[in-house]
Amino acid sequence: MEQKLRNEARALLEQGKVDWFIGFEAGSLKFTTTPLITKDKNDTNRLVINPFIVNNLANFLTEIKGRVGIVAKGCESRSIVSLIQDNKVVRENMVILGIPCPGVIDLSKVERLADKDRDELDDIVREKDRVTIKVKGKTKGFPATEVLFDHCLACELPTPQEYDILLGEPSSPIASPVAQEGIKKLKQMTPEQRWGFWEKELSRCIRCYACRNVCPACFCQRCFVEETEPQWVLPAPRWQDNLLFQITRNIHVAGRCTDCGECERACPVNIPLRSLTREMYDIVGELFQFKAGMDKDALPLMTHYEEKEAEDLFR
Amino acid sequence: MANRKINKRDIVKLLNQWGQEFAVFVPSRESGVATMARWEGKDTGFLDWYRNTIVPKANFLPAMEEMFHFQKNKEGYNIELPPDGGKQLIFGIRPCDARALTIIDANFKDLYKDPYYLNKRSSAVLIGLGCTNPGESCFCTSLGISPAESKDVDLMLTDIGNEFLVEPISATGKELIAKTSGLKEATKNDEARAKEGKKTAYDKVTRKIDTDGIGDRLLTCFDDQDFWEKVAAKCVSCGICTLLCPTCYCFDINDELIRQQGTRFRSLDSCAFPAYTKMPMENPRAEKWKRVRQKVCHKYGFFPMNLNAIACTGCGRCIRLCPVNWDITQVLNSVPAKVKGV
Repeated sequence: MEQKLRNEARALLEQGKVDWFIGFEAGSLKFTTTPLITKDKNDTNRLVINPFIVNNLANFLTEIKGRVGIVAKGCESRSIVSLIQDNKVVRENMVILGIPCPGVIDLSKVERLADKDRDELDDIVREKDRVTIKVKGKTKGFPATEVLFDHCLACELPTPQEYDILLGEPSSPIASPVAQEGIKKLKQMTPEQRWGFWEKELSRCIRCYACRNVCPACFCQRCFVEETEPQWVLPAPRWQDNLLFQITRNIHVAGRCTDCGECERACPVNIPLRSLTREMYDIVGELFQFKAGMDKDALPLMTHYEEKEAEDLFR
Repeated sequence: MANRKINKRDIVKLLNQWGQEFAVFVPSRESGVATMARWEGKDTGFLDWYRNTIVPKANFLPAMEEMFHFQKNKEGYNIELPPDGGKQLIFGIRPCDARALTIIDANFKDLYKDPYYLNKRSSAVLIGLGCTNPGESCFCTSLGISPAESKDVDLMLTDIGNEFLVEPISATGKELIAKTSGLKEATKNDEARAKEGKKTAYDKVTRKIDTDGIGDRLLTCFDDQDFWEKVAAKCVSCGICTLLCPTCYCFDINDELIRQQGTRFRSLDSCAFPAYTKMPMENPRAEKWKRVRQKVCHKYGFFPMNLNAIACTGCGRCIRLCPVNWDITQVLNSVPAKVKGV
């Protein structure tokens, strides 16, 4: 699959069908990859597909000018479709190389299971439903569901729906209930307990805005947190303001969020942000029977109006 | 003064003893992220760790701090300063993070006097803890730092098996040893083991950069837009690498005003944010590549030019925590020797 991807990507650049290509290459640390954004056909030899392709590459589409070839897992394809709906990108300007994705490995989960820092692990190998971890000559096997990201366990579209070329055989959703455990626990709490939970979690926030900046759905030219007149939130990491930032961001991406999980993964201080975004995703599904990024011809949820869904006030 | 040693089992007693005089801080994961937190008298599990995500600079330059509270009265304003935090003892600071404080001192202590920083910094005691197992992202040795040695602390601890070798580094460290009970004289054998451990740790740091003439090389390619655009392509302009950098000290000031009173806060800011340089008419660093260039050139070019030290300690946080694996060592190692067409 990797070789096929490299060939296709090279051909696209060589034949001038695209100006840019976006994919993954090996990262500089063990068990990492890094986005490869290039115009140079020779760079395509470095493209990889492995269980560590964590980023949502669709995030780069809005800042690149010209025609783009892009590697898309299911989550990327949904983000791309959502961006098409919002007129942020033009379908004709993209060549999408679809990758059926069996789920991406969450290194934090591996670290917890192995009780070792990632730096001390010798190897992590994914084979179908198993993941094997090697530490100092010893190997330990786990069901893949124990080490994949929660958002991968909950992924509804591992095989992209929107693509030009599909590389590899389609994979099917894992649909593990583990993915919703965090949210379930939160729902069982009393409002006071939940408030206390978020106070503790959001007190760690340093306002690096990584959650916002890795999010393909957060494409505003100017974010409300940077407004000064009026100043909606204090641009300093006080927990109440952090909460306001997260809640507002979550409402802004309602109907655009595809549950790709990037916000939570990028967070350097381990705030369980997906508990907020996934809950919103489910609420959107329940209230509007809408799933972001599934149909490029559908109108974007929050920017159009249908008589049947309106409240009496608007009828 | 001869070196001392202490059994690892006695660290609890030692910290409790120091707790009588100081506000003791130790690495902790209690809050959900590894950071320096108040010692609570029990858990010394942190002794087995690598390093904190949140940098100990936060004890002196917090992510957010109240500068003063103000209230309007008939004559003008009544200003109220926040209470003094007392003397801090930071236990377990790594050599890279300790060096970072020396680097920040060059700006906040020597170049000009920052009262908020100095108030905390000048009364603080630093107890260094050498790394035995540096991480994959660490590159401290390229910046003249040894993972298990430090001149930037008051006392330095080195793991020698069941015990730590305790070396007094500063005058404050010597005083502290003199009034601390429960320390034993270190033997020649202990010293030898510590020396060996330091060397082993040093050799484990495999990530390297070439700092030779780096400032000049950066300035030579300063206007090479192609180079910087390539380097910046995957950056998402978040603040992780700067806010969690042990040497970054840029801050922003904001007032929160409610009717006739309010509070002035200062909080860390980041040159990765477009708003950092935004002015009424224009933004000189609106483009991402200019911001990435600024970050690299400030650390490795301008800071050394002005204050005679590279503003990086090779702690590797910016590499490990970056959501896109943007790696400053790769960038520095790819700085062209000569700019095109010159």
